[in-house]
Amino acid sequence: MPADLNMKILVVDDMSTMRRIVKNILKQLGFSNMEEAENGQEALQKLKADTYGFVVSDWNMPVMPGIEMLRAIRADEKLKHIPVLMVTAEAQKENLIEAIQAGVNSYVVKPFTAETMQEKINKIFNK
Amino acid sequence: MISGANVSASASSKGLDDDIDAENPDTALYEKLGELTRFIDKTIKTISQFSAPMSATSEQLPDATAHLRDLRKLTEDGTHKVMQLVETVEDNHKRVFAQLDALAQHLTGDEAAALASIRAGLKKDDKPLIDIITALSFQDLVAQRVNKLVTIVEEVEHKLLELVVVFGPYTKGAGKEEAGKASEMLKQLEASKNTSMNQDVADEILKQFGFN
Repeated sequence: MPADLNMKILVVDDMSTMRRIVKNILKQLGFSNMEEAENGQEALQKLKADTYGFVVSDWNMPVMPGIEMLRAIRADEKLKHIPVLMVTAEAQKENLIEAIQAGVNSYVVKPFTAETMQEKINKIFNK
Repeated sequence: MISGANVSASASSKGLDDDIDAENPDTALYEKLGELTRFIDKTIKTISQFSAPMSATSEQLPDATAHLRDLRKLTEDGTHKVMQLVETVEDNHKRVFAQLDALAQHLTGDEAAALASIRAGLKKDDKPLIDIITALSFQDLVAQRVNKLVTIVEEVEHKLLELVVVFGPYTKGAGKEEAGKASEMLKQLEASKNTSMNQDVADEILKQFGFN
């Protein structure tokens, strides 16, 4: 099933520049409904308060890192179905394994290209 | 540097048992303890000489941290500026595309083909524009490394201030009151370890030791 271009996407990153970059790429890919959160905790609040179809998140963030947020999403009956793409500088094999075990749908390592992100998103939604 | 201190370690390098007079063990031990005490005193005095440069370095470290934070902010602002300009170009392209599409409704033949060619040429800019945006993700990596540097500098600052307190004038031949102050300052340093370095604490310690 191709991605619904109207679905609401939550972009989670403590860096405003990264949120803007990810939103620009998603916009380029045809998505138009995007929200932002600065950390995992803020993201969880937004996810619980509204309906989102996709989460793109950083790993290293203050307050609540992406991996903790991911575990919280997977542990929540109402949120656990939401696909999560991690976009992170944490490029160690152990990090990737940890993210996979926590239930991540895909993983993009910074710095990345728009094509890489598109490929990962396509794989997530075309499974 | 402390490691370069001209301190003789001979007193401590010899074993106590080597020199203790078997017939007068108390006297020999007393002499040995005296020797050891003088060595420790000399060592402390030598290390204390480094208090001033250590304090001077400690004073500069908050500046270094501020410079690093400025660097992060400058790269962040610069990145947003470039993205804003790229977004402006993208918006202009969208407007031009809409105008070209509207115009295409009224054209046929060669004119329509020429318009389509112009549109295709303009469309080729999409990829370089998004590539510029994506390339700006370097700023996030820079910021993460700057954050790590800030943490390292703050740790070094803590260590230096600890040395200033331990070997500074308060403890050098100090009485109970001064030693108590040094102890209190060490506790403050310890308490501030898990948070961002409290500039007030650092300034206060440096001030107490006469480094304004």
